[in-house]
Order: sequence, then C-alpha cells, then structure tokens
Amino acid sequence: MKIQLGVLFGGNSTEHEISIISAVQAMLSLDREKYDVVPLYITKDSRFFTGEALLSIENYKNIPALLTKCTEVILVKENDVAAIYKFPPKAFGKSRIGHIDIAFPIVHGTNTEDGVLAGFIEMLGIPYVGCDVASSALGMDKFAMKAIFREYGIPVLESKLYTTADHVEGEALLDRVEGAFAYPVIVKPVNLGSSIGISVAADRDALRKSLDTAFSFAEVVLVERAITNLREINCSVLGDRFSAEASECEEPVRGDDILSFEEKYMSGQKGGAKGMASVTRKIPAPISDEMRTEIREMAVKAFRALGCSGVSRIDFMIDGDENKVYLNEINTIPGSLSFYLWEPIGVKYADLLDRMIDLAMKRQRARKNLTFSFESNVLSGISLGGTKGAKGSKM
Amino acid sequence: MELSAHILAIVALGWFTALCVRYFTHMFQLNSYTEKVQTAWMKANFLRLVPAIFCGVGALVCAFLPVLYARLGFALLALLLSLLYFPRKAKKPLVYTARVKRLLATFTLLSAAVVALGILLGGTGEFLLLGAVAALAPFTLLLANIVNAPIEKAVRNYYIKDAKKLLASHKRLRIIGITGSFGKTSVKYYLTALLGVKYNVLMTPESYNTPMGVVKTIRSSLRATHDIFVCEMGAKYVGDIRELCDIVHPENGIVTSIGEQHLESFGSVQNIIGTKYELATGIPESGKLYINVSSETIDKNRPPRDAVTYGLTAAADYYATDISVSARGTTFTLVHGEERQEYTTRLIGEANVVNIVGALAAANDAYGIPLTEMKGAVASLKCVPHRMELLDRGNTVIIDDAFNANPAGAAAALRTVALFDAVKIIVTPGMIELGDKEEELNAALGANAASVCDYIVAVGEKQAKPIVKGAKDAGFDESRIYVAKTFAEAMAFVNGIEQGKKKVVLLENDLPDNF
Repeated sequence: MKIQLGVLFGGNSTEHEISIISAVQAMLSLDREKYDVVPLYITKDSRFFTGEALLSIENYKNIPALLTKCTEVILVKENDVAAIYKFPPKAFGKSRIGHIDIAFPIVHGTNTEDGVLAGFIEMLGIPYVGCDVASSALGMDKFAMKAIFREYGIPVLESKLYTTADHVEGEALLDRVEGAFAYPVIVKPVNLGSSIGISVAADRDALRKSLDTAFSFAEVVLVERAITNLREINCSVLGDRFSAEASECEEPVRGDDILSFEEKYMSGQKGGAKGMASVTRKIPAPISDEMRTEIREMAVKAFRALGCSGVSRIDFMIDGDENKVYLNEINTIPGSLSFYLWEPIGVKYADLLDRMIDLAMKRQRARKNLTFSFESNVLSGISLGGTKGAKGSKM
Repeated sequence: MELSAHILAIVALGWFTALCVRYFTHMFQLNSYTEKVQTAWMKANFLRLVPAIFCGVGALVCAFLPVLYARLGFALLALLLSLLYFPRKAKKPLVYTARVKRLLATFTLLSAAVVALGILLGGTGEFLLLGAVAALAPFTLLLANIVNAPIEKAVRNYYIKDAKKLLASHKRLRIIGITGSFGKTSVKYYLTALLGVKYNVLMTPESYNTPMGVVKTIRSSLRATHDIFVCEMGAKYVGDIRELCDIVHPENGIVTSIGEQHLESFGSVQNIIGTKYELATGIPESGKLYINVSSETIDKNRPPRDAVTYGLTAAADYYATDISVSARGTTFTLVHGEERQEYTTRLIGEANVVNIVGALAAANDAYGIPLTEMKGAVASLKCVPHRMELLDRGNTVIIDDAFNANPAGAAAALRTVALFDAVKIIVTPGMIELGDKEEELNAALGANAASVCDYIVAVGEKQAKPIVKGAKDAGFDESRIYVAKTFAEAMAFVNGIEQGKKKVVLLENDLPDNF
C-alpha cells in the first residue's frame, strides 16, 4: 500500500509550459519506494489528463499527440481520498481508475498558483503540498504582499497601484506617476509572474509605453522606483508558518536591466528544457557573510509572515547606491521548486520533496482537529417562517 | 369472508412474529450474538417470553372454535399481543447489520416453511402450526443462528483474511495494541492525540475492540498515508487477545490495568491476568511493552517479559507527581529518569493522569517524540465521551462517566466530585458483570457515595438494592435516596432538585437495554 501522490501541473496560465518543466523534473526525483506518482496534467482549457506518457519531457513537443496517449479524468472527493474517474465514463465496466492520497500542485502563474488550484484541492478534502488559498493569493499580489511585509518591518520599496480607470486618464496619469516617483520607475502588472508585462521607464515616453504594455496584461498595475545600481539575490525557504529554514543564496545573471521572460526560461534551449535551472547563475551568491545572513533571515521572516508552506523563493534587490536590501517579491511555487538552491547546502531533491510532503500531512492533521462546520443544523433551531432576513426585510 | 379471515389471521401472525423476533434480535445483538448469554438472559427475563407463549396458547384455544371465529379471534389476539413487543426508544437501538439481515432472512424462511405446511394441512393442524410459529419465535431465532453459523464463519474469515492482507501490504505501518480492564479507550484516544504531533495515526474508533470491530476499522479506514495504527484490544474470554494479536501482529503494547471486569465470563482473576498478558507474548522480542504499575494486580503480577513501567510513584520508569486536580482541570509533573516536565490538561480525575502518563511514555519511548513537544497536545486533550466527560450546562455540571464502571474508577470519580462546590448528586444503576463480588462492590459504591454526595439516585430497582443498603448502612439520610425505574425518570428527579446552588451530577455507569 504505497502513498498515491498526484502531481498536478499545467493549467490555464501564461506559465503553463514552465510548470510542465518543473513538474517533470520533480516527478523524476520523487522517491518511488515511498510513493506511486500519478501525473495529472491540466490543459489550458482546464481538463485533466493522466498517463505514463506524461512523465517524459520529450512527449511535450507535441501536446495534442501526447493527449491521445493519455486518459481524460475527473477528480472526485471520496471520504478522505480523491478518486480518479475516467471522463467521459465508460459505457461498460468500472470508470474509477484509481485515487490519490495527497496532491502536489506544481503550477506557476495566475489562475493556478494564486490559490485557484489550492481552492479546488481544498474542496476535494485531501492534503496537498504548498501554500494554502490565502497565502497563495497573497503571494501572487505584489501590492498586498508588500503591505504585509511592511507590517513585519521587512524593507520593501514604496509603490502605488493604478487601475484601468486611471489608465483612461491618459496624460493625467503620467503626471500623477511623475508626481509620486522620480525616474527611472518600474511598471508591473500586480498579479502576474515570470516578468510578464514588466518594464522599466526612464522618461515620460517610456513610461507611457510601459503603462500601455502592463495594462494590456492586467487591470491593476503597480509602479515603484527602479533601482539603477541593482543586484538581484534570490533565496529559497522551506517550512511552514511555525518554523522554516533558508537555502543558499543565488545571484541570477542578467543581460538586460532585469531578467526577461526569455532569459528566465528560453536560455539553454539547446541543452533540453531545464527551466530556471539553466539560467546562468552564481551559486552561492558573491555577497558578504553579513548580507547573506541578513537576506536569509529576512526570507524566513517573509515566508512565515504570509503563512506559506512548502518551498518558496524570495527575490531580493540590493540598491548599490544606498547599500540597502529590499525584498522584491515572493514566489510561492518557484520554478524547478528551487532545488538547485538546496543541493548546495546538502538537501537532495528527493529529500526536499519528502519534507514538503510531510508538511502537507502536518497541516492536514492540524486541520482535522479543528471545527469547520457544526454537526447540528443551526437552521433547525430557529423558526424560518416568513423568510424574513435578520433586518426584517422580505427576502 | 372466509378467505379474508384466513388472510387476516396469517397477516396478523406475520405482524406479531415480526415484532417479536425484532425484539429478541435486538437483545441478541446486545448479547453479542452468543447463544449461552441469550438463553441465560431469557431465563432471567422469562416475563418477556410470555406474550409469545400466550399467542401460541391462544392459537391452540382458537383451534377448537368454529373456523371463522377462530381465525378472527386469533388475528385480534395476535395484533393485541404484538403491542407488547412494539419497539420502544432504546439507549442502544437495533442496528440492521448485514449479519442481522442474514439472520432474519433465515428466520423468515424457517417460519414461512412452517406456515406453508400449516396452510397445506388446514383446519386444526394449521392453527397448531401457526401458534407454534408465534410461541417459538425466540427459539427459532436461535435455530436460525445455528443454521447461519457456517455462513457467518465464512464471512468472518473472509473479512479477517482481507484485513490481514491490507496490513501486510502496508509495510511501513507500525502497530501498537492497547488492552486492560479499564482505561484502554482513554489511553488509546490520548496516545493517538500525542502521536498526532508527528505522525498520521489510525485508531480503532469508539469501543471497536473486538476482532470484527478491528477488522472493520482496517478495511474501511486504513490508508497508505497512515504511519501508526493504535489498536484497542478488548477481551471477555481467555484467548481473545491472542486472537487479536494473530490478526494484527502488533509491534508494541500497553496494558493499562487489570481489574475484575467481566469476571463472570473469564472465570477467575488468574484468567484475566493471563489473557491481558497475551499481549505481552503477542509482540516480538524487539517490541516494547508498557504496563501501569499503579494498578495493584499488575504490580503484583508482572508480565513474562521486559516492560517499561508507568504510574504514580517513583517505582515506575515514567511517573506523575505533584498532581493538582480541580474542577477546572489538572496539572502534574512527569518524571522520567533525570527529566522532569510539567503538563496541564482540561481533563479531570486522577484516573486520567495515569492514562496520560501511559500515553506519554509510549509516545516518547517507542516513537521518539520528545516530552517537551507534547505539552501542547496534552493541554488540548479532549474528554473521551462517557469517561469523566465534563458537560457544563450552566447551572448544572454533568460528569458523564457512563462507560463500564469499575470499582476503582467509581471511587476516583467520587473523589473528583468532592472537589466541586455544588450540590453533589450521583446517578447510577450500579456495576455489572462482576460475578460473585457484584453485591459487595455495589454496596461499597453506595457507602462511598454516601460520604461524598448530597443525593443518591439509583436506577433500576433490582440493581439498586445493594447500593441503597450500602448507603443506608453508612448512615446516609434515606430521604435523599431516590430509586428510579429508568434513566429518564432519574434525570427528571435530578432536575427537580432546587437548592439555590449549582448542581454537579455524576453519571456513573449506564446499563444497556438488556439489563
């Protein structure tokens, strides 16, 4: 009786392909002595597929062909596991083709990493790896996460939020931005990942273009000052809100002002898709011991502040002019699960995955001890005649 | 007219027999489907057989009346008598398990065969056979049980084999068995809660401590994600624990106490000791055994292998000291070698302290959870239903200690009640299954209650006698003793007591409906 571990990946997100890479990497590293790995690929139109063919990265070159070799399925709550049923159901014979005990979502981007998939799994009632709904949503909202970090005394850049309603104002918006910030500024959609729609503007014309770009991707956009003398340092954290530890730090090397989508994921295409693992990076980051300690402590603090679980990656910015460290953002499900940041300090990928799964079980045990809904029907004790709401108005 | 009367008679017989067999099946279920117990119960409760016999006699009489009147008369008689077997609200109602359904199916076949034969014969013979079906229904039930025995055995063996297969396929699962005359359900709940600090734990729920209950737990609830299986093991007869060990193959074991529970079925205290220690021999050499040495019988009769001891004195490997029990909860210090740790809990009663110590010992020693890491879990421990369960109803506090009272437990419960600043009331039907010592122990309960309580309410006139005597002999004011026929009546009396102060009501033991 081995644990049936369902790895959910893909989804209706702009980072769909990156999650395929992260997931296949993880599935290859999971300990087969402990788990039976059940790949559950989610297409861009949110259909679920399973099959052995999903374990080979080669097969993803032609996804429609791959899907013909797989079975479309649906997940259904069944006591304390999630049953897997063939969809559409068979005319004869059993449609139930298995179950999963634990879910391991490896998804990136809006519509998946932001709590949508976590919410879906919550309703299946099974334990799952990674951030819950609340921390997932916070981790995807650049403005909200900063508000919380600020509450905990973690240094973040001041930022302002603008919506499409502001964008319509045209030049007036540019005036307002210029009034709030000095150039250069950086413009980001508030809730997208992997550098999509992000650009730096050094003057008014560039700002106009940056805002147009950003608003083409999102309804809400964040603006903050751009650090010119910039170094980026990333650090990963493993744990949950009660206790967590930090990984080694890395300095990703960039050709441009900031790591672009192309740099993050398309480099190293020749050598096979390796995702974040293939971006040229300096591990360990060439920083002083004090800075390394400061960054690692800040990373753990931020992780616990949001109530994260599993493995996340926190991205920092060092302002060379001020010699100050700012927290840029958190990635609740980082590309390649940041395994390359853990191996240098002696945590092998298989162990990292085991620990993430243990954390999922720990959360589930704690949940089981709490009350979520009352046994008795609260409605049965009160008179429901007249269907008047509490304030006396007719419903 | 003739035909309608005929049909009416047969339908009335069917109705009567249905209600009659339903009642006796209910009692059979409560008597654990054991023929010996059921027949002893029928002898002791002969009155309950009377309606059935009367129906049979009635049929015999009707046989000699003119046919039409005979049939109508019999139908009327059967319908009236069936009222005496009408299902009443029961504490533990009849559960229509698959086994009960099989039993009733066989019963129906047997009875229907006789009825068919009767219809074929016609006339007087028919009436005699119809009467026999009614009068003998309680016995036909036992016959059906015998007929079904091979099927039940096959079904039981299939379930056991299936459970064994599931356990064998779950290689990393660690299993611990818990047995004892009392305290095993409490220790099971506490151990599960403590192990939950680090592990995913499956435990046998409620009082599922028989082979069928344990097997059902495994087949319905065991998951690959479980790390540990905590298995409560109950015993009424010699060999019961060995049977459970053969199915489950525990690695570790806890013996929580040895007392006089089920003395009737075991025969002697020596047998009880031997049976509990079937767990000691049922675990491998490398496994660990934990025993409660504050239980006198265990202290004086050690198991046939090494064991880690726990209790309330420094003689034990893990023991509790500085115990402070209040109406609000308990604090104590656990000592293990050089280590001393303080714990608080909302549970009340000294018995609970020993049980928590047992759970802590096993969780720490066998499963490696540091004592410091379990403080939160101990503080969060919830009352086990019906075992010193504190129910605060505002003006009345109820301590529900209804499950299988034992003399030591009852005494401890009364000591806890003494701590409350309130009107102290005990409601009890007395203790059962204690064999010859029953009267003596119930009288002792009465005397003990007399020294602590303001009111004594005994439930059930027969059982109540020794309790009332014990209380009176101890000088208790007779006007404050009330003997109720049912539990509901007892509680009505309790609610009527008005003394301006808060009330604390101890529900000590609670007999099921077959007593």
